[in-house]
Amino acid sequence: MSSIARRQAVQPQGASVREQLKAMDDSGVVTAFLGGEERAFSELVERYQTRLLNFIYRTIGDREKAEDLVQEVFIRVYRHLHRFDRSKKFSTWAYTIASNLAKNELRNRSRNPLVLFQTVQKNWQDDDRPLQFEDTNSRPDDMYRKRHLREIVEESVAKLPEHHRNVFILRELEGKSYEEIAEITDCNLGTVKSRLNRARNSFAEIVAPYME
Amino acid sequence: MDCRAFRENHLAFVDDTLSGIELVGMQMHLNECDGCARQDVSVRRSLMLFRNLPAVELSPDFSVRLQQRLHEAKMADQVALQSGRTRKFAAAVGLTSVVMLGYIGVSLRRVDYPQDITLPPVVATAVAPGGVMSSPAPEMVASVPAGLPIWTAALFAEQAPVHFASIDLTTTAR
Repeated sequence: MSSIARRQAVQPQGASVREQLKAMDDSGVVTAFLGGEERAFSELVERYQTRLLNFIYRTIGDREKAEDLVQEVFIRVYRHLHRFDRSKKFSTWAYTIASNLAKNELRNRSRNPLVLFQTVQKNWQDDDRPLQFEDTNSRPDDMYRKRHLREIVEESVAKLPEHHRNVFILRELEGKSYEEIAEITDCNLGTVKSRLNRARNSFAEIVAPYME
Repeated sequence: MDCRAFRENHLAFVDDTLSGIELVGMQMHLNECDGCARQDVSVRRSLMLFRNLPAVELSPDFSVRLQQRLHEAKMADQVALQSGRTRKFAAAVGLTSVVMLGYIGVSLRRVDYPQDITLPPVVATAVAPGGVMSSPAPEMVASVPAGLPIWTAALFAEQAPVHFASIDLTTTAR
């Protein structure tokens, strides 16, 4: 009897289930999913798919692979959500999975130069594609300058050592706190601060010549 | 505040997490030291650039592919669950068989088999020469009509072991 009541409490009823899920925080959505509400998983996907894609893409620099890895993150979340410690933040857990997958991808690339070559080739092909992010109302020289600047920034991030880059992206792009970054990267707080400080200075140093 | 202390506190300075006194100290140092001021500007400008990078968008078929992969993952999990159950059942059957065989083996070892079968010695008596059955004695012949069968039975009983032993011995000899 009490289990049914609990289930009803966590499982929103009626046509506005999606709206109710949208109004919930992550913890509530996770509880709803574990209570049998399958639509709660779609809500989690919607909340995190773009954020995770950007995080992984900035870390590994390959958009197609980044999408594959984001999907892998969600598959792992789906499979292991019942094991997730609900006293912790869902986002930290999801980013930890994403961070580990990105790290593995970079490790595999360093072991297999062919993959690296394919990635480089893919990036060349990307250059031939029509621009997606620039404001189409801008003048052509402005568009070129912006695109050039974007490439420089992306290349500069890619030049950072992997463990610095990871911390840098989590902080500057995802806005994570030092404590969350420590948990995601499995480092202590001091290491996170030190890496972040070095990453900021190195990044500024790499970008500086292009900004003058 | 010196340059070293400034560099150590720069992370918190950029993140705006310094206390009031420390913040004032940092700002004062910036006014005094051109090198640190340049570094501060450089870091802030580069961070601004990075934070304003356009977000990467998902490809249109992302959701479809994700649904497909999730479906495949679910199916794979179900197959794994079923094969896991089958494996568990097979393991249980195997284990039971081993236990039963072990029990039977132990039980059989406990049975006390007689090592040597000892039988009472066979005593054979040779048949008296002159025929298997001797002719009845005159007393017996005389007793039959007189209605005294005891004598006949007694005589036959006396001769019977001799007769059977003789048969056994003959069979064994062949």
